[in-house]
Amino acid sequence: MTATAAPEPRTAAEPLRVAIIGNPNTGKTTLFNALTGLRQHVGNFAGVTVERFEGSFKMSDGRRVTVVDLPGSYSLSAGSPDEQIALEVLLERDKAHWAPQVVLVVVDASHLERNLFLTSQVCELGIPVVVALNQVDAAERAGISIDVPALIHELGVPVVPTVASRGEGIEPLKKALFIAAGLPAPARKFEIPTAAHDVLAPLAAQLEADGMAHSAAQLEALRLLSVTRGESHLAHVEKYGELITETQAKARESGLLPEQLEANLRFKWIRGVVERTVTRRRERAPTVSDRLDAVALHRVGGPIVFLLLMAIVFQSVFTWAAPLQDWIEGAIATLGATAGTLIPAGDAQSLVVDGVFAGVGSVVVFLPQIAFLFAFISVLEQSGYMARAAFLMDGLMRRVGLHGKSFIPMLSGYACAVPGIMATRTIEDPKDRLATIMVVPLMSCSARLPVYTLLIGAFVPALPLLPGLGLQGAMMLAMYLLGTVTALAVAALFRRTLLKGPVRPMILELPPYRRPSLRSIALAVWQRCLIFLRRAGTVILSLSIVLWALATYPKTAPDAAQPIERQQEVQLANSALGTMGHAIEPVVRPLGFDWKIGVSIVASFAAREVFVSTMGTIYGVGGEDDVALKDRMLAERSADGALAYTPLIAVALMVFYVYALMCMSTIAVTVREAGGGRTGWRWAGISFGYMLVLAYVAAWGVIVVGRAMGFAG
Amino acid sequence: MALPLHLNPDNADCTCPLMDSKAGNEATVVAITCGEHDARRLRALGVYEGATISVVGKKNCLLVDVRGTRLALCSGLALGITVQPLERPSIA
Repeated sequence: MTATAAPEPRTAAEPLRVAIIGNPNTGKTTLFNALTGLRQHVGNFAGVTVERFEGSFKMSDGRRVTVVDLPGSYSLSAGSPDEQIALEVLLERDKAHWAPQVVLVVVDASHLERNLFLTSQVCELGIPVVVALNQVDAAERAGISIDVPALIHELGVPVVPTVASRGEGIEPLKKALFIAAGLPAPARKFEIPTAAHDVLAPLAAQLEADGMAHSAAQLEALRLLSVTRGESHLAHVEKYGELITETQAKARESGLLPEQLEANLRFKWIRGVVERTVTRRRERAPTVSDRLDAVALHRVGGPIVFLLLMAIVFQSVFTWAAPLQDWIEGAIATLGATAGTLIPAGDAQSLVVDGVFAGVGSVVVFLPQIAFLFAFISVLEQSGYMARAAFLMDGLMRRVGLHGKSFIPMLSGYACAVPGIMATRTIEDPKDRLATIMVVPLMSCSARLPVYTLLIGAFVPALPLLPGLGLQGAMMLAMYLLGTVTALAVAALFRRTLLKGPVRPMILELPPYRRPSLRSIALAVWQRCLIFLRRAGTVILSLSIVLWALATYPKTAPDAAQPIERQQEVQLANSALGTMGHAIEPVVRPLGFDWKIGVSIVASFAAREVFVSTMGTIYGVGGEDDVALKDRMLAERSADGALAYTPLIAVALMVFYVYALMCMSTIAVTVREAGGGRTGWRWAGISFGYMLVLAYVAAWGVIVVGRAMGFAG
Repeated sequence: MALPLHLNPDNADCTCPLMDSKAGNEATVVAITCGEHDARRLRALGVYEGATISVVGKKNCLLVDVRGTRLALCSGLALGITVQPLERPSIA
């Protein structure tokens, strides 16, 4: 597709290009799934991080259709980044120059009035339109019936009633897309008052001269009238800045209110359309949603329901995923071993077994957690509860400068920062989103658990504190709390410095509760898993190989007289990784760490739990033997005869791990989610850097304070 | 929009911030004076000058019904929306 591509089909073989747009919560994505099924491709809109879902389907006569799902939009004029992208695509101004031949507007039959605002804007773009009147069943149940032929007459475009969740009306809809493609584009159905028309004429003429279709130029002129200066995402405002200001001034002179003009004109027309096409058989009565909300948003009941739901999610992400994770771990070990037998012993074998399989395996192991978490998130989102959760948490999150919607990603961070960061996508404001991405890794994830378990088990005595809570448990809890409190504090700091900006007041639609569709959930989980495996997988594979090479070269001639574990230890000590460990020893010395801990920290940059297996390798007890490792660490003495590990050092080490961003999956995902490319790397660098500084300073603080209090370390 | 009338939202002739509108009452939006960006978002959601809306609940945010759509408006937004109650509230 080139920049000059005409919106008409050039050959019969070329698929029809359809863009789907609609208000959030209209079942737009369900309809997109019903049309295209699994034939979907997830990418990004050119130059932005908003996801672009593209799918395709085939008609029974072989004609093909490609469909792009545009971000959910309430209008083409509200100026959120999502809505801006939708407008750019529809006006053929986006960088990919993918121009739709037909726009499919998904409309919620129960809320026709609000939905017609967007519909009327789209109808003026100069592109053929089809309206899918979705969820007609729910509207019927609510006593709302819509005269479809009358609506077709009013809008001047094909209108097809659908129930996307049950696949009803999909075939007629597909046919309507082709019918519409052959029809002239619809036009504005209401008159702009002469006074306003005269005011707008110069701006519209300029837009038209710059290549916009006549009706689209009229729409855009009206839209630009309500634009205030200095909004960076409106790419073309700058160019027309003076003309816009002039037009606004003229409008005011003529006694018009430029900010309200578009909304007033549109809604005046819409009220007429609704009066003529919609019959309400009964007055609005309290619905099931209202009754559920009476509990879910209750001052006391609401938070209780919320905490219960979150506890279930958190618990199941941990426990249900565990057997699957064990299974994947086993399968990868078996695969690695099998692959090992096919390759002669030596570096190549070691690269495959210890580098590729062990490295990638340590990351793929998180797949079940990601799948479970996204299954839950999809259920919460589709059922409509997510909006309530954001509503409930808004007050708390606002205090640290975050958005109510930041809560779920942060909670997800307890399981794993990777899905947590991926879950920030529901946050619209880019600064809110970045601030959330920056602090999610501070939530103690499941990969820190093996480190905490090893160190607490070895160095913290099992003294009872309270009934049901021992010192060991309290220490574990303290580590989780430390991370959480810091995350909130750091978020507040980011929002006051690097990500300074007003906290957007929350305007949130609370959609009616719905039963989630299994199919949509499965699709969402499948897509998330695929993204995780593909994107993170490539980075992780290369880093795994680098780490393996650092631990393997340069080689030390093995001393056959020594036991195999001792040989491994010597090899590691002399390898590049070991050299690095020695090199950073002066740096970690103030923290009470020796070079062996230094090596383990360096090695566990890839994944925190590698700390345990590296310590295992260093002490030659094998990675999995926790008890033997504990005994070795307890007995370990430094050159001057003092104990190498004291409880104080163990606590410092744990605090270090609470803060340090030692996880390449998280870094890879941060790069991607923070904007990709250089911006992404910059944010990932900031994230890694500040957490490392925090880790170092905090661990050092623990040692200094601990020593002052008389603890050995 | 004379100040003393704010104190008397029961008067159908008066206008008042949406914040002070009584739960369950329908009211017509008279003016939206919050930031232009938020005002645009509100209008797109059906809260425009002339729209009929009603407050259905006051939690930490304001819950508003706009033609069957439930909206949560938080932190000061409800102060920037001026409404005129449509009828006298029934005696509670």
